[in-house]
Amino acid sequence: MSNPSQTTATAPTAPQEHEPRIVAFQCKWCTSAGSDLAGVSRIQYPANAVPIQVMCSGMVSPMYVLSAFNKGADGVLVSGCHPGDCHYMKGNFFARRKLYLVQKLLQFIGLESDRFRMSWISAAEGTKYAQVISDFVRDMKALGPQRKLKAKR
Amino acid sequence: MVKVEDIQQCAAGLLEKGQVKSVLGFRRGTAGAMAEPCTITEAAEAGTLVWDPTCLNNLALYLVKDRKQQAASKTPDIRPIGIVAKGCDSRAVAVLLQENYFKREEVFVIGVSCEGTGVIDPKKVATLLKGRSPSRVEFDGADGFKLTLRGGEMQVPAREILADRCLECRAASPALNDVVFGEPSGERGYATPFHAAKEALGASETERWAAWEHHFDRCLRCFACRSVCPMCYCPECVVDSTSFVIEPQTSAEEKANRIKWCERSPNTSESAVYHLTRAIHLAGRCVDCGECERVCPVNIPLRLLNTMLEMEAFEMFHYQAGHDLSQASLLSSFRDEDPNSFIR
Amino acid sequence: MTKKRTGVFVCHCGNNIAATVDVKRLAEEMTDEETVVYSQDYVYMCSDPGQNSVIQAIKDNQLDSVVVSCCSPNLHEKTFRDNAERAGISGFTCEIANIREQCAWVHKNREEATEKAIKISRSAIRRVAHNKALDPIAVPVTRRVMVIGGGIAGIQAALDVANAGLEVILVEKLATIGGHMLQLSETFPTLDCSQCILSPKMVEVSRHPNIKLMTYSEVQDVSGSVGNFRVKVLQKPTYVDPEACKLCDDCVQVCPVVVPNEHDLGLTARRAIHIPFAQAIPASYTLDVDACLGLNPIRCGKCKDVCEAGAINYDMQPRTVFEEVGAIIVATGFDLYGQENLGEYGAGKVEDVLDGLQFERLCSASGATKGHVLRPSDHKVPKEVVFIQCVGSRDPAQHCAYCSKICCMYTAKHARLYKHHVPDGRAYVFYIDIRSGGKGYEEFVQRTMEDDETIYLRGRVSKLHRTRDGKVRVLGTDTLTGQNVEIDADMVVLALAMQPSKGTEQAAKVLKIGRDKDGFLAEAHPKLKPVESVTAGIYLAGAAQGPKDIPETVSQASAAACKVLALLSQDTLSHAPTVAKVRESHCTGCEMCVDACPYQAIRLLNGKAVVNEVLCEGCGTCAGTCVRAAIDVKNVTQLQIHAMISAIMGG
Repeated sequence: MSNPSQTTATAPTAPQEHEPRIVAFQCKWCTSAGSDLAGVSRIQYPANAVPIQVMCSGMVSPMYVLSAFNKGADGVLVSGCHPGDCHYMKGNFFARRKLYLVQKLLQFIGLESDRFRMSWISAAEGTKYAQVISDFVRDMKALGPQRKLKAKR
Repeated sequence: MVKVEDIQQCAAGLLEKGQVKSVLGFRRGTAGAMAEPCTITEAAEAGTLVWDPTCLNNLALYLVKDRKQQAASKTPDIRPIGIVAKGCDSRAVAVLLQENYFKREEVFVIGVSCEGTGVIDPKKVATLLKGRSPSRVEFDGADGFKLTLRGGEMQVPAREILADRCLECRAASPALNDVVFGEPSGERGYATPFHAAKEALGASETERWAAWEHHFDRCLRCFACRSVCPMCYCPECVVDSTSFVIEPQTSAEEKANRIKWCERSPNTSESAVYHLTRAIHLAGRCVDCGECERVCPVNIPLRLLNTMLEMEAFEMFHYQAGHDLSQASLLSSFRDEDPNSFIR
Repeated sequence: MTKKRTGVFVCHCGNNIAATVDVKRLAEEMTDEETVVYSQDYVYMCSDPGQNSVIQAIKDNQLDSVVVSCCSPNLHEKTFRDNAERAGISGFTCEIANIREQCAWVHKNREEATEKAIKISRSAIRRVAHNKALDPIAVPVTRRVMVIGGGIAGIQAALDVANAGLEVILVEKLATIGGHMLQLSETFPTLDCSQCILSPKMVEVSRHPNIKLMTYSEVQDVSGSVGNFRVKVLQKPTYVDPEACKLCDDCVQVCPVVVPNEHDLGLTARRAIHIPFAQAIPASYTLDVDACLGLNPIRCGKCKDVCEAGAINYDMQPRTVFEEVGAIIVATGFDLYGQENLGEYGAGKVEDVLDGLQFERLCSASGATKGHVLRPSDHKVPKEVVFIQCVGSRDPAQHCAYCSKICCMYTAKHARLYKHHVPDGRAYVFYIDIRSGGKGYEEFVQRTMEDDETIYLRGRVSKLHRTRDGKVRVLGTDTLTGQNVEIDADMVVLALAMQPSKGTEQAAKVLKIGRDKDGFLAEAHPKLKPVESVTAGIYLAGAAQGPKDIPETVSQASAAACKVLALLSQDTLSHAPTVAKVRESHCTGCEMCVDACPYQAIRLLNGKAVVNEVLCEGCGTCAGTCVRAAIDVKNVTQLQIHAMISAIMGG
C-alpha cells in the first residue's frame, strides 16, 4: 500500500537534474527525413529536443535562434543537408555562413559556446541524428539552465 | 594636409553649377570645439564649411534621411547631393549603393583623406584635459593634433586622443569618391586591425558575459545607436514596433500579426536580443564609423559587436564591407571553402 | 479577423503511437488551445473510417484548419490534405504533427514522450492558425524536349520522345552524333558490330521529322523551370555548308595541315578540314578552326579554291539560338580517366601502352589499321598482349574510388577480339575480381578463358616500362599463386576508369543540377528516382549519371524519355503555391534575396523585390537572408515559426 506522506518524504532532498529544453530547426529534406529514419529504426534518444521543420536550413533566420534562447531554450540546433546535398542546391551554404557568425556572436558575448549547434544530417543518417540529440542533451544537462538570454518575465 | 579652402571651393563650385542640390558637410558648432553636421544649399554658404579632427559624424546618415524625406514627399527632389566623406563615411555610401538605396549619380562624394590621423574621441580629450574643453582642435602635421585651450596651445600625439575606430582604421582615404583631398593613406599602424575585438576575446567566457550582462543591463533602449546608423534604414526595425509602417494597404491582419521578437522593456535579455539582432543585421554592412558607440548615452562598447563580426567576415570570408560595389553582400553570398569544421 | 476553427485528430497508429504517447491526454489538452474547436483520437486515422471521420468532422464543425497528429508528413500529409479538399476546405490548411517517427518510436518514457507530443502538436496548431488556403499554381507547358548529348543515350532518348510525337532538339557538341559507341569495334556479349547497330539509329535521327539536330553546338545558359525552359545554344561554325557539300573529299586532299584524329584517339591523323568518319551525321565536312592556317585566302585558302560545290564559307559566324522546351534530358556521357594520371603505368608516355578505346580502334575495320591488330610503334603483330583491369578504378587512395563497371566485360571482349585476330598470340588479363553480372555476361567471360585461352591473373600490376628490345615489361603479382609475374609484352591495354565527361561538368553548371562526389550527375533519389535530376523537368540518361554499359544506357534513356512523356502529357503543370511573398512596405530593394535565391526567381521591379512564383521552389533562403523580414514563404512564415517556438517553449 502506498502512503502519500511516505513518498514525499523520500525524494525532496535530492537535487532535481536539469531537464534541458532544446529547439531543433531541421530541414525538411535531409535532417527531418534522417530523424524519421531514426524513428523507423527505433533508435532511442532523449525527448528533450522538439523539432521544428523548416524547408531548408537556409531559411533559418538568426532571429529564430535568438528568439528560442530568449524564450528559454537551453540549446538550439540548426541542422540541414550536407554541403553539396541541399535539396535547393545551396541554401545550406548561406545557412553555414550566416549561422557561423551567429555562433561567433553568441560566443563573443559569453553565452556558453556549446548552446548553439549546427550539424549536417542526411536522410540516411538516423543514427547520427539520435547521436547529435543525445550528445546535445547530455552536454546541456552538464551546463545547467540557460539564464543569460532567457527573458525574465 | 587637407586645406579646408579646397573643400569649400569644391562645394561652392558644385552648388554654383547646379550639379548638386545641397552639400552635406561640417560647420563650427555650438559645443566648444566640436564641429557639427550641416547642409548647405547656396554657394555663398560654402565658407562656413570646416574640416578638423572634430568632424566625427558619418554624414551618410543624412543621405538616408533625405532619401526617406523624398520618398514621403509628393514632389520628390532627387537631384544629387554632395557629401563630405572620410574613409569610413565613403564606405557607408558604398554599402548604400551596393544595396540600391540610391543610385551612383545621385551622390557626389567629396572625399577627404584622414591621412595620418583621424578624428578625436571627445571622451579621451576630456580625460586628458581633466575635464577642461579645448576651444579648437586642429590637425598638426602627420600624426599629431593641436589643441587650443584658454591657457594656450598644446601638441598631442594623435594616438592619445584618436577615436578607437581610427586607431584600427585600415582605409583612411575614401576609395569611393568623385574628388578626393589629402594624401592617400591606408593602415597607419596605430593598432592592429580589430585590436579591440581581439582583446575582448582574450577574456574568459565568464568575464565576457559579466561584461556584456552589465552592458545590456544598462541599455536604456533609447535606440540612439539605431537612429545614428546609416545602415539602420529599414522602414520597420524587426525588434521594435514603433517604426512599423502603416500604409493604406496594411491589413488589419498584418497589424495584428506583427512578431514580437523581444519585449520593449529594457531588460537585460530583451536588450541583448536587440543588440545581437542589430549586430547580425549589420554583418557585412557595418563600415566601422563608430557612430553607434559614440552616441550611446550609457557607454556600451557597441563597436565591439560589429567589428567582431567584421573581423570574422574579413578573416574567414575575405569580405570587407563597402569595398566592392559589384560584390554580393556578405550574407547573400558564400564560398565552397567557407568554414565547415564548427558543424557537427 | 475572425478566429480560426481548428480540428485536431490524434492517431493511435494501433499501438505504434498509443503505446508510448498518452493519446487521450494529448487530444484532451489540445482543446485548451484558443483556436481548437474540435479534437478526437482514433486508432487508425489513415484507415477509411478514420479518414471519413476527418471529413465528417470538418463539415460538422465548420472547421477551417486541421492538425493531424500522426506519422511523418512524408507518409500521410497528402492523404489528409486530400481529405480536407474533399470536405471543402483547402488542403493547405492541413498540417501534420509528426508524433510517431519523431516521438513515439524514439522514446520509452511515456510521460516524457507525451509531453513532447503535446509540444509538437501544439506547435502545429499555432502554425496552422496562420496557414492560408492556397491554390496550386497552374503552369502552362511547352511540349518540346531538348536532349543534350548525341551518344547512344541521347539518340535513344531523342528517338523515343520523337516517336511519341513530340518535337525534340538534339544538341551535340561535336560535329557528328554517335558518341563513344561509334568508336567501338564489336560489343559484348554478342560481338556484333557497334557501327552496324548504331548507324541505322543515327540515320533515323537525321531523317526524323520531329527531331531538330544541332551538332557542333553547346548549351550555354538555361533559364525558366519545369514545363518552360529557355535554353541558349551556341552553334559553332563548321565553315562548310552541309546542304552544298557533295562529300567529294577534294578539300581534304589539298589541306596542308595534319593533326591527330580524335575519332581514332590519335592513332591516325586527319586534316584541318575533315569529316569525323564516313558515316558521320550530319554527313558533312568541318573545318577545324583551331588547326586551320587562318580562314584566310591569303594565308592558305586551298580548300575553298578546290571546292567545286562552293560549300566552303570562311565568313560563317557562330550562331546563338534560343529554344523553348518543357523538359531536358542530359546525356553528356563519359570520358576515360586520363592516362597522364597513372605514373605507375608510364603516365601515357610508354609506347604501345594503349587505353581501351584505342584498342577498339585497332580492332575496328574502319580504324587505324583497317581491322588488323598491329602495335602502333612498329606496325608489327603483337604476340603477347597484357590487359590490365581496374586501372584508375577502385583505388580511393590515388584515383577513383568507384568501380567503373564495364571494364571486366570489355577487357574480356578485347582479349577475345585479340585472339580472333591473332590466334597464335597470348593474352593475359590482370584483374582484382571479375564482375560479370548481366544477361549472358558470365558465359561470355568463361568463353574468353576457356575457348579463347586467355590467361587470367588475379592481381595488380605494380608498374611497367619499356625495355631496350622494344617490349613493354609488365611487373605484377599473381595473388593466387603468390608469385611475382614479369611479362615482356608487345602491347599493353589499360581498362581505364570511366569518369564523367568534361561536357557533363559544364552541363551541370549551366543547368544548375547537382553532381555526386565523383562528379557524375546526381539523381533525385538513388533508388526511386534514378533518371530524375534534383531539378524538376531535367532528366538524366547514360554514363553521365554513372558508369554503365550499352544495354543499361539504352534502358535509362528510354526511361528518361518515358518520364518526359508523362510530364508533358498534360497541358498544364501544377506548382506548389508555398512560394515566397514580398511585403512591399518593408522591402528596400537591397537585392540580397535576389543574390541568395538558388532559382533566380526574384528580381527587382521599381525598386522592390518581385517573386516569380513559377520558378520559386519555396526554400526560404530569401527569408533567411532578408534583414528586414520583408519576404516570407507562404505557410512557413516567420510569424508561424515564431508561434511554433513560443508553443514549444510553453509561451
